[in-house]
Amino acid sequence: MIEGIELKQYLHELKKHTAYDFSDYSDNSIHRRILKILKDYDISMEQLIERTKSDSAFVEKVVEEITVNTTELFRDTHIWSAFYEKIYPSIKSKKFINIWHAGCSSGMEVYSNLILLNELGLLDKARVYATDINTRMVTMSKNGQYNYRFNYRYLDDFNSTLAKKPINGISKIDFSKYFDIDEDKDTMTVKAFLRKVPQFIKHDLVQEEVPFFNKFDIVFCRNVLIYFNSKLQSKIFKLFYEQMYPGSFLLLGNHEVLSGFYKTKFIKNGPVFVKNTAFHFKY
Amino acid sequence: MKGQYKAVVIGGSAGSFSVVSRLLSKLDSNFPLPIILSLHRLKHVRSGLVEGISLKSNLKVIEPNDKEKIVAGNVYLAPSNYHMFIEHDGTFSLSTEEPLNHSRPSIDHTLSSAAFFFRAKLVGILLTGANKDGAKGMKDIADKKGYTIVQDPSTCDIDTMPKNALRIMKPNKVSSPDEILSFLNNLA
Repeated sequence: MIEGIELKQYLHELKKHTAYDFSDYSDNSIHRRILKILKDYDISMEQLIERTKSDSAFVEKVVEEITVNTTELFRDTHIWSAFYEKIYPSIKSKKFINIWHAGCSSGMEVYSNLILLNELGLLDKARVYATDINTRMVTMSKNGQYNYRFNYRYLDDFNSTLAKKPINGISKIDFSKYFDIDEDKDTMTVKAFLRKVPQFIKHDLVQEEVPFFNKFDIVFCRNVLIYFNSKLQSKIFKLFYEQMYPGSFLLLGNHEVLSGFYKTKFIKNGPVFVKNTAFHFKY
Repeated sequence: MKGQYKAVVIGGSAGSFSVVSRLLSKLDSNFPLPIILSLHRLKHVRSGLVEGISLKSNLKVIEPNDKEKIVAGNVYLAPSNYHMFIEHDGTFSLSTEEPLNHSRPSIDHTLSSAAFFFRAKLVGILLTGANKDGAKGMKDIADKKGYTIVQDPSTCDIDTMPKNALRIMKPNKVSSPDEILSFLNNLA
């Protein structure tokens, strides 16, 4: 257990001495993450607070561990099926398709999405930005190298959903087009033609201005907002709303929903939230 | 008993689906408390559990969204691939942080957070299962003076989970599924 007052003091010092502000992260989750850090580093709350004031390399490491980096290739296959079958065909005539992955973690969903765009012949139209607060994750995303045995099954999962219900006559994606696989080293590496498409940027959604000027057709932000309190969630919904074109798509995690004022500014349509306009799709 | 408790939380793993199904099919449809379920799922069979449990349930079964408020009379099932917690304001919060005891959802996470929120007003029940998840959570409920029931190992498909709990805590009761059912119906 950490005393509430100590936790508040830590968050206060973090805000004061670093570029990070976690004071509107949800109480329970920040409490758990800090407990884990105290245990992993075998330090006291007092020591954590002291090192936060003076040791910026340590702060970076702690931030990397506070943030959660769970992701998968084609996580929740039904969502990718919807993009493949309905959403991309509905916007394929656009000159550009601007996409933002906010909180991209190790980049697996960025590449899952690029594979679908390539399958649909839309890769050249895609302008993709992917951001994460965690420097280590941004580097990993750029490298596009993952553990093969653990991750390849998620590609098989997507192919089994396609096999059950082919989309546009396609019942299987040949994933060997997209990855170099080294079974001895147990790695799968995204091929260069995909890796060069996205711009991966270290960016703190909570504290920093958005690092681009354009608006977006699709914003992916999956299982990021669950770590924020309602007040901070509303701030981020506003940010997304302002960065999105009318009729564009916001994809949250499977069990995340819009709340408060911005709930009325989007319409839930199948797995996506569509920015409210006169223009409606039915999925 | 009536009015003494505010929620029931149930953890289960291998073999628990049929026990939970049976409990929910026999509970009074006016059961007055929220029932919070943290059940392990088979890897790669991520969907279908809520439908399976709903089939025979007299109560509405929901996989809650993040920040959803707990409402009495509903059954809440930890969504696939998420940990489910009770926050300090009585809402659910979800997390995709690393598996605990090789599990996400982890029973310990749900039980411990419920113990901290409901304290003595919680009934914690641990059912059949094949690992050690849930033991720590049951101990937390007992430490907060909540009421604890562990399924009688002799009635379990796999008794590892109840036995692991019994090793570190002493529940108020060790019961068969039928005894658990009559205990719950007495709360109504």
